[in-house]
Parts: sequence; structure tokens; C-alpha cells
Amino acid sequence: MSALLEIQNLRVTFNTRHGPVTALDSVSLQVNAGETLGVVGESGCGKSITALSVMGLIPSPPGRIAGGAIRLAGEDLTRVSEARMRALRGAEMAMIFQEPMTSLNPVFTVGDQIAEAIMLHQKVGHAQAFRDAVALLDRVGIPSPERRARDYPHQLSGGMRQRVMIAMAVSCRPKVLIADEPTTALDVTVQAQIFDLLNEIQRDFGAAIILITHDMGAISEMADRVAVMYAGRVIEQASADDVLDHPQHPYTRGLISCIPALGKGDTELREIPGVVPPLHMLGAGCAFAERCAHRFDRCDTEKPSLVDHGHHPAACHAVEEGRI
Amino acid sequence: MSASFLFRRLVYGLILMLGVVVLNFLLIRLAPGDPAMVIAGEMGGGDQALLDAIRTQYGLDRPLLTQLGIYLGNVLRGDLGQSYFFNQPVATLIGNRIGPTILLVLSAQVLSILLGVFLGVIAARKPNGALSGFVSVVATVGYAVPVFWTGIMLIILFASVFPIFPVEGMQSVRLRGAGFWVKAVDIAHHLVLPAFTLALIYLAQYARLSRASMLEVLGSDYIRTARAKGASERAVLFKHALRNASLPILTVAGLQFGNLISGALLVETVFNWPGMGRLAFESILRRDYPTILGVLFFASAMVVVANLLTDLSYRLADPRLRGKT
Amino acid sequence: MTEAVDFKPESPAREAWRMFRRNIPALAGVVVLTIIVAATLWGTFFYDGNPYRIVWAPHEAPGMTPDFPLGTDYLGRDIFAGLIAGGGPTLAVGAAAAAITMVIGVSLGALAGFYGGWIDNLLMRITEFFQVLPTLLFAMVLVTLFSPTLTTIALAIGIVSWPQTARLTRAEVMKIKELEYVTAARAIGARNRRIIWTVILPNAAPPLIVSATLTIGVAILFEAGLSFLGLGDPNTMSWGLMIGTNRAYILEAWWPVTFPGLAIFLTVFSVSLIGDGLNDAFNPKLRER
Repeated sequence: MSALLEIQNLRVTFNTRHGPVTALDSVSLQVNAGETLGVVGESGCGKSITALSVMGLIPSPPGRIAGGAIRLAGEDLTRVSEARMRALRGAEMAMIFQEPMTSLNPVFTVGDQIAEAIMLHQKVGHAQAFRDAVALLDRVGIPSPERRARDYPHQLSGGMRQRVMIAMAVSCRPKVLIADEPTTALDVTVQAQIFDLLNEIQRDFGAAIILITHDMGAISEMADRVAVMYAGRVIEQASADDVLDHPQHPYTRGLISCIPALGKGDTELREIPGVVPPLHMLGAGCAFAERCAHRFDRCDTEKPSLVDHGHHPAACHAVEEGRI
Repeated sequence: MSASFLFRRLVYGLILMLGVVVLNFLLIRLAPGDPAMVIAGEMGGGDQALLDAIRTQYGLDRPLLTQLGIYLGNVLRGDLGQSYFFNQPVATLIGNRIGPTILLVLSAQVLSILLGVFLGVIAARKPNGALSGFVSVVATVGYAVPVFWTGIMLIILFASVFPIFPVEGMQSVRLRGAGFWVKAVDIAHHLVLPAFTLALIYLAQYARLSRASMLEVLGSDYIRTARAKGASERAVLFKHALRNASLPILTVAGLQFGNLISGALLVETVFNWPGMGRLAFESILRRDYPTILGVLFFASAMVVVANLLTDLSYRLADPRLRGKT
Repeated sequence: MTEAVDFKPESPAREAWRMFRRNIPALAGVVVLTIIVAATLWGTFFYDGNPYRIVWAPHEAPGMTPDFPLGTDYLGRDIFAGLIAGGGPTLAVGAAAAAITMVIGVSLGALAGFYGGWIDNLLMRITEFFQVLPTLLFAMVLVTLFSPTLTTIALAIGIVSWPQTARLTRAEVMKIKELEYVTAARAIGARNRRIIWTVILPNAAPPLIVSATLTIGVAILFEAGLSFLGLGDPNTMSWGLMIGTNRAYILEAWWPVTFPGLAIFLTVFSVSLIGDGLNDAFNPKLRER
């Protein structure tokens, strides 16, 4: 039995001023119904490109899916027509974006924007769709939804807008829900509420959730399984508990040590030194080598592949050779 | 839309119009020569009785402020003076001519916006495509062609090569007694060339502007949201993007209105269109100042009204502005 | 590139010039405009013709007589001679009017933008008032009232055209006066006038130069429109006047109106190509649009 959504060896390239670059390189992920997959990494590591590839929203040109497959319930999304893709988008799979402030159209009421999503995929009139939209707003915890449905986005707070985005995304009960940094732009108390809401929605609708984040804290709260991405590749993949308790890759260890330890009076945020290298600068070796404390000569000449070295799969020569 | 906003815009419009009246008054006083002679125009050459009558009517022997008061009072009563050349009140003269001008200007405005925005939206889909290049070339050409010359070239073309549109006037003489619809079709037929000539300058500008504006909007997050919902490309372009991209287009449409009236002046002269521009041209040739200043007053009033309408529609189109004053 | 790498950053003006040099339409504009200006300045040395005198039969078609390459008009006057004689006043009035527009617009805009407050308020209300007056009509009124000479025409065009320049200058000045080097200049005790002249305006120059170029084009069209309506200086030949006087006979002879119109078009077109080129050169980032 295969997974609900299965990404196999996905390769995405972009034409840039520096020539073609590989934004995603043999990325393989899967997620089952009712499960939450956390995809974690710093910005520029390919998380969002992965999400947009699933939705078929890679800006093209300059982007292009150059290889691999994305199977939703067995159907390869890289091969279907644009019309079929439109029918799937919003209905079978939906996405919540990072910026609730700018992701809603400023000139339409939020009720109309949700109703539009409903009407695009169900044979209902505007009146019925709008009533459904109000019910959805109620479901995502927006007080006096009747009145709020007639509000424009600028009249709502950031947290409210993200609830609207969630209502819109789940309006057609999608099988897969992709949440791309859904709480990054919100303040901390609202973050927790949005996570609770996503969990509830998953319980009610049984959707698979792909949660994209740079925040290991969010992973520990939400994810069943985790894939860590770096420079367009998956470098570690396992259950959330395994990754959090026994991180293998030095990059994953770095990310975990960045979680601020609450209550310890330790306000200093630690960071991994250095930045993700630009994609056109990637060499023959491990992309993380520049920033890695365990770097040795093999790291500069050979790309490590994602292999189980005892505990769970990680792409690291140092782990393979037992150096860490 | 708040009533107080509307009220304040109206008052401001009235103040601007008051300014135009004062300007008219000053222009006549600042012109070299005897104001009475100026008002009388060419007719005032040797007619002492006429000059005396004008002096009494405008109180030209009284202090300047009193004169301004008299002038303002006259304008408020709808009296813009007397055209001594046409021998008619200026208000009546303009009343007969304002309709055709409004018809011409509005048709040109609608034509240029509809066609221009349509071209711009299509061009925005392929920012480096052939249509985009074409639009930007046409915009530069359209800006550089003198509008009266375009009109003349069209007349040459349609009078001798493709005689399918009338090249002169607004109505056919032979249809004097015809019914309403026959006349309406006839006027529309006459309108084609002048309206197109006038629209041509602005069409390309709107195309270029809406292309730029669409490109900016198409890169925004809510467009991605619309696509993620499964909206069709047409809905994305014409519903989600255009509604937002239309805001700068509206602003420019409002600002362009004054230039459009200036263009209409030339186009009316070229096509013998019986509007205010043609009237201005005729009265300037005759040095008929009361009529010229009357036209200036009414044309400015049209701009004020157009600006007011632009402000209102801007608020309707952008919900973020509603409720603000 | 030579092997010795020079890390000294290029000055903005040099960089703009480098961009401009590679812009083929803009260079074509420079060439065409140079030819037109040269023809109006020195054309009479090479082509001996009096534009006012009747020299041939009326409506001689172009190319029929080698002496009159572009034919004759309804009176039998030489059209090519008219083009050469008429370019000077058109270009001179256009340039002068653009200069007047820039002087009024930049001064008022800089004052409003720099001082803000009631000065800004007052100047902007005045600007809005002038924007209500339809430009060509207002210019017609001014020219008729104060008798049409080249000077009054240039003044009239300047007086009706400045509001847009003022708005642009104001916006630029408001943007620049918030920048750090203005604060720095204030900190060392520079006077306001000095700051406006030596710090703010030079930094606002690129968009103003572009706007000045485009203003020349608009002013030339303006002058052409006025002379077409018969409101030009009656004592000088001009392209607009040639179109205006021959307008009644267009169905008998197309050439007396076509060539002056083409001359106006080519002039304004090359001016605006140069303007677009300058704009691209000053804003390299916008070129990707």
C-alpha cells in the first residue's frame, strides 16, 4: 500500500542569470492520511519549492520539474494536464501561506474569497457557498462569523487572516494540506492557537498535513515524521521523536540546539554559523561542509547520500564513518 | 463611503471653480489695453456706445474689488457675459456646444481605457513577448504623434481610400427629420474617427501603464493564493489581478482628463465637430474673449467633476480607503 | 575586462552613460535629433530656398521637380524650404518652454517638498488649481490675450505645464531629505538653501533630467498645436503653421501636411527615445520589467 502523497526523486531546476541551477535534487518524501510530515530547514533550502512543486505552482519559466514523480493517490502530478491540476488544486490539495497579511486579495471580502474556493470545485451557487464560508469561519474560531465574512482582509488581525486562510484551504476538505511557515508572521500566543486549530482540523477531516517550517519547536509540537532539508536535498528523515532525540546530521543537531530552552533563563539564541550557500555555488562535495565542525577531506569531494547508518537515514560522511 | 468625505470634496471643487472665475476676471484686467475693448472684442473697434454699455455693466469705472464682486455675482446667476461676435449670451452658446464635447471626450476615454487595459493585460502575461514589445513601441509612437496630424491623416485615408466613415461634422444634413435611432446611429457613425483619433494617444499609455501595474500585481501573494484555490488563468488575470491593477489606472484616467479636453479641442477643429473646442477656436480667431473665457470656465468645471468622480470610484474600487476621510 | 581588476566603484553618471551607450533606440534618437537640429541651424547653407515666396505652380507633387524635392503647397511655396525654416522656431520654443517649465516646477516642488507644512499645503493647492485648467485651452487664452510672439508662446506653455514637474520634484525632495547625508549636512550646520542646492537637488537630478527631456517633447507638440490653430507667431514659419494653412486642401494634395507632421513626429519621437534611454540608464533595475 503506497502513501497518500509520494514524492520520488524530484528534481527541479531554475534558469537564472548564473545559468541553470538545481533547486531540488532527488527529493523523496511521503505522507499518509491523518499524518503530519514536518519539512524543516533554513530559508533557501528548498522547502517552499517542494511545496509549490506539489501544488504545480512553480513559476515557469524560469522553473521546471526536470525529473522524478509526485503521486497523489497514485496519480502522477508531474504528468497531468493543467486543467486537471486546476481541478485538484484547492479540492484535493490545498496550501496555507506564510504571509497572511498579503496572501488575501485586498479588494474582495474574506467571505467571497472562501466562497470562490467552494464554487470552483462544487456545484453550488454563491448564496450557498457564502453560507458555507460563514460556517467555515465559525469552524476556524472566528467570532461573529456572519459579520466577519463581509469584512475585507485589512479589517482583520494577522491571526484572524491566517484563520481565514485555513478556512479557505479546508473548504473543500482536501486530502493533503500544505502549511508553509503558517505561523512565522504571527506572534507567539497566536502561533499556538493556529497549531491547535491545524491539529483539530486534521482530526476532523483526516487530512495529511505537510508542515514547512524552520522552527524545530513547531516540529516537536506538530509533526509525526520529519524530513530535514539543506540546499535542495533531504539530509535526514525519521519519526519526529527519533530526529528530536537522536539527531544524526550535524545540521539537524545545530537546528535542535537553536530551540530556545524556556525557563532556563537562557535567552541567548544560538545559531549555526554561516549561511546556506547560493545554489549556483554548490560544488562536488557536501553542501553543508563549509559550516560543519566535523568536516574532513571526503566532505569536499563526494556528495553524501541519504542512507541509514545505524539509527535512521542521514546524508553525512562523518556519521557513516562513526566520527560523530 | 462617508458623507463628510463627499461633502468636503464638493466644497473643494467649488473653491477650485471660484478660483477659475477669479482667474478669468484677472486675465481680462491683466491683458494689455482697455478691459472694455477686450470684452467687446473685434466689435469694439469704434463703437463708443457699446464700450460705454460694457463699462456700466461690468462697473469698469469702480474699484477693482467691486468689479470682481459684480463679475462673481454675474457668474453665480449663470451670466457668463455676452458674445458680441455671435450676438448671444455665452452661457447659451456653450450650452449648445457642451453636449457634443462631452460625447466625444467620454467616448475617447472609454475607448482608450477598454482597449488599452485589454492590450496591457494580455501583454503582461508574457512580459518579454512580442505583444509587450509592440505595446511599448506604440506607446512611444502614440505619445510623439501630434493629435491634429493623426486626424488629418485619417481624413485623407478615409475620405479617399476607404470611404466608410464620415470625416466631417456630427450629423448628416439629409437626416434632419429622421427618428431618434436613425439619428443616434448617424451620430455614432460620425463619432468613430474623431473618438478614435483622440483615443489613440491615450490608448497606448493605458496599455503600458496597465501592463506595468499587472506585472506588479501578478507577483503578489494573493495571486498565488488564487492559483492555489484552482482558479482559472482568466479568473486570475481579469478578476483577481485586474481589480487591484486598476487602481493606478483610475488615478491616471482622472489626471488625463484635462489633457483629453485639450486634445478634444484640436480634434474638434480637425473634424469640424460642433463642440466647445471648435467654439473656442472660432472665438479665438475673432478675439471674442467672453466666449473664450466661458469655454475655459466650463472645461475646467468638467475637469473638476471628473476629478470628483475619480476620487469616488477610487474609493469604491479600493475597500482600504472606505471609511477614511 | 583587463586582467588588473579595479575595485573602485563606478560613479553613477559613468554607469548611466555606459548603459545609455548600449541602448540602440536611444542612440538612434540622438542621431535623428542631431540631424534635425543641424538641418534647422545650417540647412540654409546647403539648400537655398525661401519658404515664404511663391516659386512654382501650386500643389506640385514631391519628386516631380528636382528643385523642389518635397513639392509645393497650395500657394506654390517650397515645402522643403518651409521644413528647414520652420524647425528653428518649433525647436526653440519647445526648448525654451521646457526650460521655463523646469524652472517653475523644480523651484515650487523643491520648496514644497523641503519645507513641508503650510508652505507645502499652499503650493500644492496652487498646483492642483493649475491642473484643473485644460492646458492647451489656457495656453490659447494666454497667447491671444498677450499677442503671439515666440516669447509669449514659450511663456504660456511653461505656465500651463509646470504642475507635473512640481509634483515630481516634491516627491523626490521629500524622499531625499529623510536620507542620512541630509541629516549629516544639517549636523554640520549647513543652511537650508545650501542643502537644497548642493545636497538634495543633485541627488534628485536623474528623474528630473528624464522629466525635462520628456517635457521638451510635450512642449514641441504644444507649440505645433498652437501654430496649427493659427496662434503661433504670425511672422515666423513653423511646422504646425504649415499643417494649419494647408489643411483645407488635404483632399487635393497630401504632401503639404504630411511632411511637416512627420517632422514633428520624428523630433518628438527621438526626444522621447532619448528620455526613455536616460530613464533606463538611471534605473537599471527597472529594465527587467
